[in-house]
Amino acid sequence: MPNHAIEITSGPRLLDATQGVARTSLGRRRRPAEGLIQGFLFVCGAISILTTVGIVFVLGKESLLFFASPEVDLARFFTGTTWQPAIGQFGILPLINATLMTSMMAMVVAIPLGLCVAVYLSEYASLRARGILKPILEVLAGVPTVVYGYFALSAMTPLLRSILGPNTVDIYNTASAGIVMGILILPLVSSMSEDALSAVPRSLREAAYGLGATKLETALKVVLPAALSGIAAALIVAISRAVGETMIVAIAAGAGPNLTLNPFKAAETMTGHIVRISGGDLSYDSIDYNSIFAIGLMLFLITLGLNVLSRQIVRRFREVYD
Amino acid sequence: MRRILVSALLLIAVIATACAPATVAPAAQPAVTSTAVPAAAPTSATAPQGNSELPEVNPLEVKGDIIAAGSSTVFPLSERMAVRFKDEGYSGNITIDSIGSGAGLERFCKAGETDIANASRAIKSSEVESCQFIGREPVEIRVGTDALAVVVSKQNTFVQSVTREQLAKLFSDAATKWSDVDPSWPNENILRFIPGTDSGTFDYFVEDILGKDKARALSAANQQLSEDDNVLVQGVLGSPYAIGYFGYAYYAENADKLNALSIEGVAPTAETVDQGTYPLARPLFMYTTAKILQEKPQVAAFVSFYLAHVNEEITAVGYFPASEADLSAARQAVLAALSN
Repeated sequence: MPNHAIEITSGPRLLDATQGVARTSLGRRRRPAEGLIQGFLFVCGAISILTTVGIVFVLGKESLLFFASPEVDLARFFTGTTWQPAIGQFGILPLINATLMTSMMAMVVAIPLGLCVAVYLSEYASLRARGILKPILEVLAGVPTVVYGYFALSAMTPLLRSILGPNTVDIYNTASAGIVMGILILPLVSSMSEDALSAVPRSLREAAYGLGATKLETALKVVLPAALSGIAAALIVAISRAVGETMIVAIAAGAGPNLTLNPFKAAETMTGHIVRISGGDLSYDSIDYNSIFAIGLMLFLITLGLNVLSRQIVRRFREVYD
Repeated sequence: MRRILVSALLLIAVIATACAPATVAPAAQPAVTSTAVPAAAPTSATAPQGNSELPEVNPLEVKGDIIAAGSSTVFPLSERMAVRFKDEGYSGNITIDSIGSGAGLERFCKAGETDIANASRAIKSSEVESCQFIGREPVEIRVGTDALAVVVSKQNTFVQSVTREQLAKLFSDAATKWSDVDPSWPNENILRFIPGTDSGTFDYFVEDILGKDKARALSAANQQLSEDDNVLVQGVLGSPYAIGYFGYAYYAENADKLNALSIEGVAPTAETVDQGTYPLARPLFMYTTAKILQEKPQVAAFVSFYLAHVNEEITAVGYFPASEADLSAARQAVLAALSN
């Protein structure tokens, strides 16, 4: 009984405060303040749920207007290769393609680096090194994304251009945005994976050492597989973070919905497009305006799908020790 | 594991909320308003006099609200004049909506709900008719001139001047490579950087150069669109094969890094714009009516103030002053409207 548990844990504190008098009423006495706090906490929880419901409602309502409009054909929406609302072209592929390209690029950077960092921190680093490194890494996650955006545009892009030549690499390109986004989500991957690795019981490692495994073998063949579900969940959360990331791609990836697989060309992601279009003087009744809600809905569905998937993975592949 | 789950859920919530503002953010509709209470001293500000110059306006003595709507190009200029009008003592509200010339004239002529329509083109005869239909006889007030600059990076050494036909090819699906436009130009992709579809600049260019055919403009390859002119400047700077167009103001700010092309052999300068020989220049107007000017002294005061001081502000906004003849014609028109 959860209630019971709460009463017991709060018992000792109660004893301290009321010098044993409370002993008789332990678990019985009504405390109005407690109810007040519970109510307040419930309201806090409810607000976040209501906000989510409200967002889903607005997204759904406005995108329904979009899909119901005679200019929009659902099949063309998913298969069309041009997105130009001003001339009635609503093919979302270029936007989705760019979003996937930047996210992939980000994961290519963040997965190997993040996992290496996680393995190092949990298996190799001394307590002191860990105490220094981990907070520094988490600072990376605290840098405002607009700073990353300008870093991509004014440092990463020139770097790519100096390596590959300015004619190969456009000034706005998905590769530079993706790489910098990888740096942004690196702390997310490493920190969540490290949590998963640290949660693996010590007895497993000791058993591995006992069988004569080296440190590397223990880390890669015992600890990593044991923490796989947590790591997979971390990666999926990181992907959905990358898909939803806005500022970096709005600044550095480009501002035209181009369908291209070349990461050195400019292309516009879903989030980038929403930012750009809602920044102009768009009238409320126009189909352009409704179209950004349809894009928002697609984004929402993608991230929701990824999150559901990550929960499934955690549930299915969870290895229970102890 | 539990910790991961919790942090995963937290992240979901963060992502969901982080995504949300961008998607529900309403389209920007800048407006200048103030909530100041109109001051006392209700005296008529403008009493028409016999001479040809408009009477001096004392903004301190003006009260009542002013509603203007229209061109997003005129908007920064009108906003600046409105701010100055307030700084000098006007205590009413000025609302200026940046909704585009066509929409502004529609609100002025059909709904008849605004005092002033801002426009970056002359009023059309159909619009004059609908104005007259609701009993409004528009008075045209020229306030300045805007010029479009077609720009390339200073690294571009092969193009200094283009014709209108070449412009049409450079900014439409008719060409992909520079050599498609002129065989003597390099066989490289044209990288285009143009203003977004909501902007008056885009509309003006498409109307003037591409015969209003938006589809041709938007189907061009390697094209980036942005409402933010700095994005366009950055983009054009990025490659010798990039080209873009935007208001002259942004070219002027970056004249050390960008080259403005001559159109039909005419370079954009104060003289060519003033003489009307530069092809991509357009007049900026305000429209109001004699009746509004007479019935709402605050509108008459604002317009007179505008015409008296517009040339002190216009270059700072990045536009060109209208010729003295046009400005004095505008003053005459206002004066005539006030005196009959």
